[in-house]
Amino acid sequence: MRLISLTLALAVTGCNATVHGSRLSNVPIDTGGIFLSTGGAPKPFRSIGFVQVRGYGVEIAGMADVGNSYLDGTIRGSLAAEAARMGGQGVINIEFEDENPSTDLERAQRAMGSFSNLLSGRGPETKDRYVTVTGEVIQFLE
Amino acid sequence: MRTLLLTLSMLSFTACTVVNTVTLPTPAPGEVFVTAGDIAQPHEVLGLIQVQRSGVLLFGLIDVVGTDLEAGFKEALMPEVKKMGGDGVVRVRYHMTQYTPWAHALGVIFFFIPLPSQVVITGQVVKLRG
Repeated sequence: MRLISLTLALAVTGCNATVHGSRLSNVPIDTGGIFLSTGGAPKPFRSIGFVQVRGYGVEIAGMADVGNSYLDGTIRGSLAAEAARMGGQGVINIEFEDENPSTDLERAQRAMGSFSNLLSGRGPETKDRYVTVTGEVIQFLE
Repeated sequence: MRTLLLTLSMLSFTACTVVNTVTLPTPAPGEVFVTAGDIAQPHEVLGLIQVQRSGVLLFGLIDVVGTDLEAGFKEALMPEVKKMGGDGVVRVRYHMTQYTPWAHALGVIFFFIPLPSQVVITGQVVKLRG
């Protein structure tokens, strides 16, 4: 009976997949490091190139994510590092897509499937995860 | 428990990030500029553009046609903009196929199955006024 209730509850709530990332740079710029924005630049700039990053990771048993399929890790880590390597001071017009986020229902299904697998001596269920981020690398003119 | 630990350790080794870049020179007079945003200068809109290059990666590695950002921007987009008489492209959006090293390795092993690859770039071609 509890299983049915749980399944029903998940069925009602489990159609949406939401992915969050932490905030990017403030305007005006108040910290050091690479300026990151999904919009334009707050100061005159020149464009020096473009970057596309694809982070890959694995979701294990519907609960844990291993690898680089986090938005934050891909934007603040790989994208910012690559921009710095290119000699950039910022990345603007950032676009991002978590290609295959899991819904709550899918996560719960994989958790239950993994539990069942573990009881029978097999490994947990996994899902490949991908996130793609693009951006324009800039240098400020001032 | 041993199976779980083995699976977790194997998965942690398979995680990775693929990065592709294109570095563009500072536009000199007569050269095409490219930006993903807008420009403040007065300009005339010449039209929309989409360039697409599709091909395969032979042996999982060799990009015969040139389907990366470098080729897409420098060999496809910029010559086409010049041909249209534009000074630059604004609101550029782009996407290229990216394979993980694991997929490339599979491409090497199964060398008789080439990996499909593509780069698509869209934007609005403009001509500066004055």
